[in-house]
Amino acid sequence: MANLSLKHIYKVYPNGTKAVNDFNMQIDDKEFIVFVGPSGCGKSTMLRMIAGLEEITAGELRIGDVVVNDMEPKDRDIAMVFQNYALYPHMNIYENIAFGLRMRKIPDVKRNKQGGPVLDRAGKPVKVMRRYTKEELDEKVLGAAGVLGITEYLKKKPKEMSGGQRQRVALGRAIVREPKVMLLDEPLSNLDAKLRTQMRSEIVKLHDRLQTTFIYVTHDQVEAMTMGTRIVVMKDGYIQQVDTPKNVYQNPSNKFVAGFIGTPQMNFFEGTLCRTGERVEMRFKGSECPVTASCDILGKAIPRYLDGKTPVWIGLRADDITIGAAGEKERGATIRVKISHTEELGTETLVYGDIDLTRDTFGESPTQVIMKAAGFENFRSGDVVDAVLRLENVHLFDFQTEESILPRIPKYNYLSCTVQEGRLTAAGIELTLPDAMQCPDGAYELLLPTDAVTLGGETEAEVLSSETADGKPLARLNVGGSSLFALIDARAGEKVRLSFDLKRIALRQNGEEVVSPMPLMNSVVGTFALDRVKARPQEGKRGKVNAYSFVIGGQKYRAPMDVAQKMFAALSGRKAFTAQFRYEFTSYDLKISEHGLPAEVEKVLDYGTETFVKCKVCGSDFYVPVTGDVPRSICLEPDFEKIGVTETEREIKIV
Amino acid sequence: MKKLKIKPQKLFNVAITYLIILAVCFVFLFPILWLVLASFSKTGSIYSFEGFFPAELSLDSFKRLFTDTALYNYPRWFLNTLFIALMSSLIGTSLTILTAYVMSRFRFKTRKAMMKMTLILGMFPSFMTMTAVYLMMTQFNLINQQWGLILIYSAGAPMGYLTQKGFFDTIPSSIDEAARIDGASNFKIFVRITLPLAAPMIVYTLLSSFVWPWSDFILPQLLLKNKDLYTVAVGLMSLDDTEFSRFAAGSVFIAVPIVVFYFALSKFLISGLSAGAVKQ
Repeated sequence: MANLSLKHIYKVYPNGTKAVNDFNMQIDDKEFIVFVGPSGCGKSTMLRMIAGLEEITAGELRIGDVVVNDMEPKDRDIAMVFQNYALYPHMNIYENIAFGLRMRKIPDVKRNKQGGPVLDRAGKPVKVMRRYTKEELDEKVLGAAGVLGITEYLKKKPKEMSGGQRQRVALGRAIVREPKVMLLDEPLSNLDAKLRTQMRSEIVKLHDRLQTTFIYVTHDQVEAMTMGTRIVVMKDGYIQQVDTPKNVYQNPSNKFVAGFIGTPQMNFFEGTLCRTGERVEMRFKGSECPVTASCDILGKAIPRYLDGKTPVWIGLRADDITIGAAGEKERGATIRVKISHTEELGTETLVYGDIDLTRDTFGESPTQVIMKAAGFENFRSGDVVDAVLRLENVHLFDFQTEESILPRIPKYNYLSCTVQEGRLTAAGIELTLPDAMQCPDGAYELLLPTDAVTLGGETEAEVLSSETADGKPLARLNVGGSSLFALIDARAGEKVRLSFDLKRIALRQNGEEVVSPMPLMNSVVGTFALDRVKARPQEGKRGKVNAYSFVIGGQKYRAPMDVAQKMFAALSGRKAFTAQFRYEFTSYDLKISEHGLPAEVEKVLDYGTETFVKCKVCGSDFYVPVTGDVPRSICLEPDFEKIGVTETEREIKIV
Repeated sequence: MKKLKIKPQKLFNVAITYLIILAVCFVFLFPILWLVLASFSKTGSIYSFEGFFPAELSLDSFKRLFTDTALYNYPRWFLNTLFIALMSSLIGTSLTILTAYVMSRFRFKTRKAMMKMTLILGMFPSFMTMTAVYLMMTQFNLINQQWGLILIYSAGAPMGYLTQKGFFDTIPSSIDEAARIDGASNFKIFVRITLPLAAPMIVYTLLSSFVWPWSDFILPQLLLKNKDLYTVAVGLMSLDDTEFSRFAAGSVFIAVPIVVFYFALSKFLISGLSAGAVKQ
């Protein structure tokens, strides 16, 4: 019964292999989280780090409110079920389950011979730690065995039991201690298909019954979809997506997630999109027949992909491709497919085909398509049929990065605008450009970040629709005829007034950035050092103490103790003094002061409501908010408590 | 009744196989047989044998072995050897098992180097270090002391830890991890989980580390000068030429403890104790 907080967690092996990269996640109490991914994606390593069986290279792991990075597994109050059960073979089932209880002591009050509490001088009961009594053990073990239906096997040895029963014992051993967090490492992989389905629902029931946090690792996407309240899809040590099963299935954030979740695998076609008016035309590489659809399906798509030239991946699940004549609704969404072979599944038939009619392969080809048809329908290989695409369920991905171009929360709003005499005009939006954003007159593309739009201001807008995406409110607005997305809490139909964070806006002309947004993160490269210094009075020590400092441009700045400790932990001690770090500060954590980082002011950026100065600090650009005039040379005093530290060689974010 | 048909080719093969086995058995067993017979010789001297085997047989030499202790105190030597061998076996086994467990389960900086070093050091024969050992033992005042021998044997035993390490390697580490999560310390894991699972290996180690001190000749010969402290091997070598049957009887009798020891422990030597722990 605890929530977990995982911040910037890394696992780097001594040979430099990164098993887990910048893992960030908040796990709420009573959640059922599933880590899923192909083998070698770091999911088991992550689980073992939570368990304490694997050291955390960098980052912070909290269970409840306690940082447990350096805590022994037994003190973390977790329990783990292993893939290979890991029962103690020389003990019977009762002892296997009771072992964890026997190893522990519980707090109690000291008792006299009559069973009454022994009181100390103050009249309070004397506290002691004691082992479980036989009766308590019996009660707990029988309770756990009862829940899992293994009471009758308690006298048996593990080797006398079947795989399913052994896995139940392993579960029993985990639940008997009533841990805060249950960790399950592919517990069903060694069971046969039927038993696996059965145990799957049993584990879900167990979770409902225990009401504790479960973290479950699997490579089986079916388990992930059916069991988890949230799924974490991982690949090569990176989180790909964290969301509910429904959202992961419906809104995969990239091509990998789309292909990994769902059987049969999603069909991917190379193609292009071309927008003409209210219709969009999709062309598939290898196929002669383009399909058209209403622009609605492209709601949040990034406009630069709609030029008919930029290649994209078009993804459609087998369920969204049906064979047969097109109805009124799907007019124009038909594609011709040559059938290669079929797989009968009873209730339905998987039809394999190719949209390239000249191909005649059974193997994988980039133009292969898998479709679903009713059970036991007859298809002959070589037949050419019409397949109807349900385009409202289409998924589109960037061809290079494979990221979705239909994100749930679009990062930017793309608007065309004109600038004339310092005034920017886009559909419904009129802004006076502040000094910092002045640019020549002309037509531009305006990149307005979704989170740079806030309520309260001059611009009028009407809320077209609102939804909650990734826990944030997202509204689609109508501003003077063009639609705009904003992370604001508003109801559909409502009229709102908007203001824009001007320093976040970019203006582009012919693909080149004419006005850049102001970076809010300032970074500088430096090292780390240890000195013996005289103790400060508040440290309560005499003589000299160790002082750790960030070395930036040859000058030393005292480092907060917790940051220093994290840097030590991430670099195994002395290496911290030879490594290079990137120190990061947000603009608002920098203050102009009399001492600190020396900086040369280059430019004053006036954004109307706020003024910043662009200055050079040891060769890096810093942007600092200022009020009033500033001299050419200033000193910046960063808030070192809020510093961000990244080790540059291995790219490990430490703080 | 059906007549059993054996093909001539098969018969020939079987015959050849048995002939080879018999020949090998003869080579192995004949010296033992001869020694046993010699120990029952009545006259006692090797020169009185008629041909190859003793002429007359009796139990005399065994009787004298245990009764005539004025000059050659065989029972004393026997107990000395038993004490040295048992102590070395117990201490040596503990050290070997601990070494093997550490090498198998823990990862530390010099692990690989230490493993290689012990492997190479273990290959050198023990008598190679004789002079050094003798000098060291004089320094420590351990000449003519049974504990000196026990020290050498026990310290040398962990050199051969590789078999034991191999065994520990086969116990899945997930069992250790499960116990760690259950709250057991490293020591508790070793005592409560690993040791019970390693019972066959411990027995094997006990037996094998018993045999070396039991039958060793060079080190006791080097370190034990007092006749009362002799081990059987040294004692038997000190027998007079005419006492051959006594020598033979003594040699036969020292096989007894090993046989007893083996049968007493053999029931623990069954393998497969770890079956059912994990799914392979």
